Amino acid sequence: MTVVAAGVTVPPAPERDHFAAVRVEVSDCARDLPDTDPERVLSAVRSGGRAGADRVELRDLAVRAAAALIGEDPQYSRLAARLLARQIRDEVAEHGIVDFPSAIAVARTEGLLSVRTAEFVAAHAGELAALVDHAADDRFEYFGLRTVYDRYLLRHPRTDRVLETPQFFLLRVACGLAESVAEAAELYALTSRLAYLPSSPTLFNSGTRHPQLSSCFLLDSPRDELESIYQRYGEVARLSKYAGGIGISWTRVRSRGSRIRGTNGRSNGIVPWLRTLDASVAAVNQGGRRKGAACVYLEPWHADVEEFLELRDNTGDEARRTHNLNLAMWVPDEFMRRVETDQEWSLFDPADVPQLTDLWGERFDAAYREAEAAGKAARTVPARQLYGRMMRTLAQTGNGWMTFKDAANRACNQTARPDNVVHLSNLCTEILEITSDDATAVCNLGSVNLAAHLDRDELDWVGLADTVRTAVRFLDRTIDLTYYPTEAAARSNRRWRPVGLGVMGLADVFFRLRLPFDSPQALALSTRIAEEIALAAYETSVGLAERHGPHPAFPDTRAARGVLHPDHFPQADPVHPQRWAALRERVRRSGLRNSLLAAIAPTATIASIAGCSECIEPLVSNSFKRETLSGEFLQANPYLVADLKKLGRWDRATRNALKQSDGSVQGLDLPEELRRLYRTAWELPQKALIDLAAARMPYIDQSQSLNLFMAAPTIGKLSSMYAYAWRAGLKTTYYLRSRPATRIALATVAGAAPAGASPADDVTCSLENPDICEACQ
Amino acid sequence: MTTPTTETTPARTLLLDPGMDLTLRPMRYPAFYEQYRAAIRNTWTVEEVDLATDVSDLGKLSTGEHHLVKRLVAFFATGDSIVANNLVLNLYKHINAPEARLYLSRQLFEEAVHVQFYLTLLDTYLPDHEERAQAFAAIEHIPSIRQKGEFCFRWIDSIDALDELRTVEDRRKFLLNLICFAACIEGLFFYGAFAYVYWLRSRGLLDGLATGTNWVFRDESMHMNFAFSVVDTVRSEEPELFDEELGRQVTQMLREAVECELQFARDVCGDGLPGMNAEDMHRYLRYVADQRLTRLGLPAVFGDTNPFPFMELQDAQELTNFFERRVSAYQVAVSGSVSLDEEF
Repeated sequence: MTVVAAGVTVPPAPERDHFAAVRVEVSDCARDLPDTDPERVLSAVRSGGRAGADRVELRDLAVRAAAALIGEDPQYSRLAARLLARQIRDEVAEHGIVDFPSAIAVARTEGLLSVRTAEFVAAHAGELAALVDHAADDRFEYFGLRTVYDRYLLRHPRTDRVLETPQFFLLRVACGLAESVAEAAELYALTSRLAYLPSSPTLFNSGTRHPQLSSCFLLDSPRDELESIYQRYGEVARLSKYAGGIGISWTRVRSRGSRIRGTNGRSNGIVPWLRTLDASVAAVNQGGRRKGAACVYLEPWHADVEEFLELRDNTGDEARRTHNLNLAMWVPDEFMRRVETDQEWSLFDPADVPQLTDLWGERFDAAYREAEAAGKAARTVPARQLYGRMMRTLAQTGNGWMTFKDAANRACNQTARPDNVVHLSNLCTEILEITSDDATAVCNLGSVNLAAHLDRDELDWVGLADTVRTAVRFLDRTIDLTYYPTEAAARSNRRWRPVGLGVMGLADVFFRLRLPFDSPQALALSTRIAEEIALAAYETSVGLAERHGPHPAFPDTRAARGVLHPDHFPQADPVHPQRWAALRERVRRSGLRNSLLAAIAPTATIASIAGCSECIEPLVSNSFKRETLSGEFLQANPYLVADLKKLGRWDRATRNALKQSDGSVQGLDLPEELRRLYRTAWELPQKALIDLAAARMPYIDQSQSLNLFMAAPTIGKLSSMYAYAWRAGLKTTYYLRSRPATRIALATVAGAAPAGASPADDVTCSLENPDICEACQ
Repeated sequence: MTTPTTETTPARTLLLDPGMDLTLRPMRYPAFYEQYRAAIRNTWTVEEVDLATDVSDLGKLSTGEHHLVKRLVAFFATGDSIVANNLVLNLYKHINAPEARLYLSRQLFEEAVHVQFYLTLLDTYLPDHEERAQAFAAIEHIPSIRQKGEFCFRWIDSIDALDELRTVEDRRKFLLNLICFAACIEGLFFYGAFAYVYWLRSRGLLDGLATGTNWVFRDESMHMNFAFSVVDTVRSEEPELFDEELGRQVTQMLREAVECELQFARDVCGDGLPGMNAEDMHRYLRYVADQRLTRLGLPAVFGDTNPFPFMELQDAQELTNFFERRVSAYQVAVSGSVSLDEEF
């Protein structure tokens, strides 16, 4: 109960003490944050506090109250993060944990850690304890810290309370991968600066009893027989149990109507099998921490391709839908050429043309035409009709990602021998590695935070290269330490030792340097970043080969034949030709420790931990909410906020205007330069995104998770865009992002819809009412 | 601007004139038809909502939160059915334009999806059959829900006997019914209920409920907009209907609705929950009610500000990590044909 005295609500005695304590904390945390108002946070705590609330509950309210104000001023993010950091430290202390070694000891007693890591820490307790830099917590934005707290910190198996602080967590991850204190210190120095983060599986599992550290697995299509299909289900389940994303091809499995010799019946095609896969993926949830996820790849000559493209529709027969699977097309050049020239396209039953799956480039073209000439096609369709169908699926579901088989194989270091073929990409379309029936491709990922490598207004190239060298050594180490859920994965990964080093925070760099995404300077800088990273990565891998020998399959690579990835791109114009020449010489002498090194992954979660923009993406909005398992947060583009503050324009009116325009600044009365800089992903020409991706392609030996954005997609625009992406030589694309057709009425912008508005006011562009539509004029 | 053209014929049909107009060409109210098409593009199905994590979340809730969720589900279980009934019994009968009736038919389908969603939710949340039956009977035996139900029925019944809107009085009665369902029921009761769901989500709880509710929210916003467009159209066709007395009645109706919903809030919140209590909810409801009044061209009467920062989130663009949630932003209808040289 509260007592009302002189119009002010005052909590009774014990709660007053708790409240007073929280008041001190809030003021303390807000000391150097002049644009926050601690009183606003405290008043929310006062009114939201339940009778009998203790200090923890009140502080939690303060955290949430501060978080809710981030949309008004980004400094509240710092405030919320600092309060949360205190909360976490108190929670950890409940277990009698006083330092890093004692945290590890408790976690070991609870059976959470590997013996190797626990003993390593025990053996170097003093030195490791001294490495911990709790002040580094202050680098976290609220989103990042919340994500770490909700999902990444080890928890007590019974009480569910966290057993490590954020810094203990990062050091535990480093110790799980290190062989000496110096190594642990080296990696921890990067991660505690948020300059580099390994991918989520490594963050989740490093040092634990289940060190499955790899992000992605690529499985070859099951053979066209029952046993093989069921074996794949089992493999998929085992792989996704430990937090990996799955790519799997289904191209080898016969199509609907195909004769089954054993029973003299006819096949129901691939859809029923994929339904089973769908159910299996949904059932296996990754240790409760995230849902299993898989992407199925199919080549567009498979006779079930149209049904495949309908698997994610939300209309039609539910018995032929798979809502948990992602879908991707593995498109040969021959298909795109026939689209360009408006020809017929033949669809085949794979049982009739089993060879097509294992061929690419000219050999595929020849075999495909030969099969057509031999009358083996199940039927033919106009290529453009099928292409239009693919575009429709992209627009309606965002799925049905366009990935290009020939571009993927042509430049792949692993495909020097014709029997080594890339058959698919992975869940996020950035990994391109060969697979076969008994070889599952694996990739370990990590991403450099470019935003942490800006030195005032310049990129710190030396620092970037240093980060890459450390990152590659630890990614390579991961190959030896990770737990392989299947033998097929272990075998292939040890032979090829591929890793995928990527980036995040490119948009931050562009904002800081004030480069619009479609400026020539942005293109040059982004390409140079890719080149610098590739060079440092290859140099490191050669160095590892000099010490430990090349990866076992090195003789089967293009590099062994003197061809490095940029050589496939004659238009590439490297900034460092002499370093490339020197590298080439070293590769000739010593080989490479890793067959592949670069892949740009989406980084959704680790970018939020690092507090930077996702991989190579522009911002979708200058004001958006982020939804994660830990709830929703509002985020405004901090660079824009800073600019608007300078202009004295960061006020309620501007925030409302921003909200009403879905985070666009185009309608705001701002200098042209700012409106150009702060265009959202929806407002940028997509050509620019494709051009940026194509220009960095020579330095990305795997691929890039490239999302494309179109607010109101039409088949015409989409088909032009993807044809352009193919001609630009992209190996893969990822989601097509579009926007909802209608939206929620703004709940918190007062007077959003003016009284007396006529129904015509919310009319959209349409042929139904050409006279009144002004959208196109 | 498209007010229906006045120069065609002096005896033109007005939107509320009795009858069954079947003429779609020339179309009198193309905006309604556009709203219908936009609604189709937003089709979603209950099967897309993943309730898997909700079940484990339910185990984590405090007693107070558990009580809130049960009350909420009980309200939702019948709320959309009531709206659907009024649509069939009253709105469809009197809004006399085929393009408007297209929209209403679509709305009816959406209400059915909402009912199905909350039914699925209830079956998932309440494994006990006895409890399920009780939830559906909430409208009978839980006073705070019964009161809301009675408020709705009163306004359904108010024009039950009207077969045709002949007189000015009839038309005003109809407008009150229409405004009641748009501003008070869909626009206030539901908005209140959504606020509880988003409060839970702001704490990272019941993601499935929130996802489905997000889509319901999107639909309800459309329904409300449509109803307000009908009001706007009637206002431009028959301005004399909108007299001071009507304004007074609407304002009074919103006051009553806020009061009803406050009783529900007191029941739902009990002694208060961290970050949610009946007083703040009361302020939120008054704030929303003011918005509805303003939209209807009436003066705001409460003067409150929004106390729920998590509702600010509902206006912001979503950025979904697909490992975690399904993106709800995709469109159902897309047009055009293949071409290779369009601007993009």
